[in-house]
Amino acid sequence: MSQTPIKPEYKQPWRERLAPWFFVSPSLVLLLAIGLFPVIYTGYYSTFNWTMGFGTPSFAGFGNYVQALTSSDFGWSVLRTLILLAITLPIELVLGLVIAFALDSAHNVWLRRALQVCLVIPIAITPAVIGLLAQLMFNQQFGIINYLIGLIGIAPVDWLGGSVSAFATVVAVHIWEWTPFVALVLSASLSTVPTDIEEAVMLETDRWWPRFKSVILPYMWPGITAALVFQTAFTIKSFGMIYSIAQGGPGTSTMFAMLQIERTAFRGFNIGLASAESILMLIMSIVLARIYIRLFYTDKDD
Amino acid sequence: MRKNHRRLAIAGTALLGLMFSGSSLAWNLKEAAQPYKGVTINVVGLERPSYKAAQALTPEFEKETGIHVNWTTFPYESTLKAETLNFVSQSGQYDVVLSDVVWPVTFVDAGWVVPMKHFTDNPKLADPALDLKDFFPVWLASFTVNDKLYGLPFDSYAGLLFYNKKMLADAGFDGPPKTWDELYNYDKKLTNKDKGVYGYVLQSAHNETQTADAFARFLWPWGGRFLDIGQKKVMVDSPDSVAGIQFRRKLVKLMPSGIVSDDHPQVIQMLIQKKAAMVTEWSSFYTTLKQSPIGDDIGVAVEPKGPKKAASAFGGFAYMVSAQIPEKKQNASYLFIQWLTSKEMAKPLIEKGAVVARRSADTDPSIQADNPYLKPMVATWEHSTVPDWRPQLQCYPQFSNIVSDWGSRIEQKRLPVKSSLHDMADALQKYMDSSDCWAHANQPEKYISKYESKSAQ
Repeated sequence: MSQTPIKPEYKQPWRERLAPWFFVSPSLVLLLAIGLFPVIYTGYYSTFNWTMGFGTPSFAGFGNYVQALTSSDFGWSVLRTLILLAITLPIELVLGLVIAFALDSAHNVWLRRALQVCLVIPIAITPAVIGLLAQLMFNQQFGIINYLIGLIGIAPVDWLGGSVSAFATVVAVHIWEWTPFVALVLSASLSTVPTDIEEAVMLETDRWWPRFKSVILPYMWPGITAALVFQTAFTIKSFGMIYSIAQGGPGTSTMFAMLQIERTAFRGFNIGLASAESILMLIMSIVLARIYIRLFYTDKDD
Repeated sequence: MRKNHRRLAIAGTALLGLMFSGSSLAWNLKEAAQPYKGVTINVVGLERPSYKAAQALTPEFEKETGIHVNWTTFPYESTLKAETLNFVSQSGQYDVVLSDVVWPVTFVDAGWVVPMKHFTDNPKLADPALDLKDFFPVWLASFTVNDKLYGLPFDSYAGLLFYNKKMLADAGFDGPPKTWDELYNYDKKLTNKDKGVYGYVLQSAHNETQTADAFARFLWPWGGRFLDIGQKKVMVDSPDSVAGIQFRRKLVKLMPSGIVSDDHPQVIQMLIQKKAAMVTEWSSFYTTLKQSPIGDDIGVAVEPKGPKKAASAFGGFAYMVSAQIPEKKQNASYLFIQWLTSKEMAKPLIEKGAVVARRSADTDPSIQADNPYLKPMVATWEHSTVPDWRPQLQCYPQFSNIVSDWGSRIEQKRLPVKSSLHDMADALQKYMDSSDCWAHANQPEKYISKYESKSAQ
């Protein structure tokens, strides 16, 4: 019985082993510099008591985290952010889906092109400018919104002066600002549904809902999950638009988490506490992202 | 012999006199700036008329001195952040820094700025015509910390009553209201909510405007105040303070409900569009109103008196020299500040729309004739304001956040005045006690007499 010759082990030269690292190193360094370093730096300062202008930093351990977690101002601002997320996310998802189907439709090319142009506008405008425009449009005295509803006989609404109405205004502007992004993500996701499968299903049934539920939706889950993850992060870190509209007011009705953190950092100059609050919000974003992935993400090949 | 001695003494005195007057006459900006020719200084400005005027005139300084001036302008809300980051990071990005009337204690306690005396004691730098006593005492006091002056005032405001003369006359009033009670009666007669016309509107947005404009304005004239620094006690819930804020609630009932979110531009627009007959605003808005379509109808007067005293809004800025830059740059920076805030520059600055705190220019009848806001502004600074209109605390920004949060909620009519002010006082007291803020409080009022006596000299 002949013995199978043992193939001598191939020893990769060090140059070949290093080559992949060499190619990815520029992006890796860039990623570490602009992505990871600020997070580590923020985490580091979150363990210090440091108010800018009030002496040097001193080690505080988890003291800033305890202070943040027991602060009613920060707690309420996080709750407001979660309410904003709970209201805007489903609406943006449904509207985004409707627009994605309209974009996918081959029936009306003109409508599709018009939609594509309209979708780019909110994405192209700086959030602070969106906020300033909204502040003018929703002004009780001079705003175009009150002028337009006045044309159909509705009395002027105090959009920015009431707690609920100011919150509702932020919700409306947020939906206008972010629905196009969701629509584009879902549109890309919709394009992954293979045409042959769609045609085959058309032979089975011409009813829309069973086709959507059984064939299109499974292909769209990764896109929907991505939209959920992105939108959650964007909503949690919303600042420019909200600040420009009402600066957190009236009272504290639009004081969302990022406004509260900015206030702690650059009005109170309490860098330690603001860093701890930022890390807590980052953890919240990651936890929510993991929940979305666990609940909704399925690989279409499964 | 004795005669000769006398002649010698007279000749010596004359010679000394000539030497001193000669050195005084000899000082000129061009020569003083000679060692700094080619130096570039970075100046912080705001997006407001005074800084536009200053920037327009800066080439004159550059031409005379050979010092280059770089302006960086910010919206007010970002200025403290930008300057603090500059100092904390020791970037040396800004040489001539701008201080709001509530910031000097922050800059001084952290050692970020140089006392003016460092420069004014240097005969090579100090212009003999600087004439500090020409600045209004209240302004010098506002930028004095630990008995040292740290900045020269620029872009200085007083709260004034701007009104539409025609609207008041049509309603049967032959002049502006003199007291807040009178203003309330005017307001009742002028307000017609169905037509969207209001007698008086008050900028109240949830930021510094709420604290400085909408809240403080109803404390001082009623005898209220923010703090009793000696007793380390917050006073916003004292009976006088409560009376003032209760009066504000009466006025707010006559305003549009959205006023709680309106800032300076919105109330100025309401006045311009004849939707409001009266506003209490900073003197710097005169130029904007004068150039508006209702320019000829605009009247301006001192703010109404309260039941306890006349106390109008007080706010503005000063230029200071950064302590974190080389001496050469510090000296060049001082020369720029001295030039910009000089008596000589006051008139051209006012003509270009700036507001300055120079008595010689602000009381000049020929300048007053073209700028009717000057008379009530001077009257306010001389008789009816307080330099700690907002307290000078190192932790002021966070203090102001708390005032703004509670002030805005109370103005929304969501909360009862008395108990809410009590809660606000508790929140402020807790913050002041826990942040060691009492130890870093400045009381500019005590320095006024020091500068008044100088003015009298």
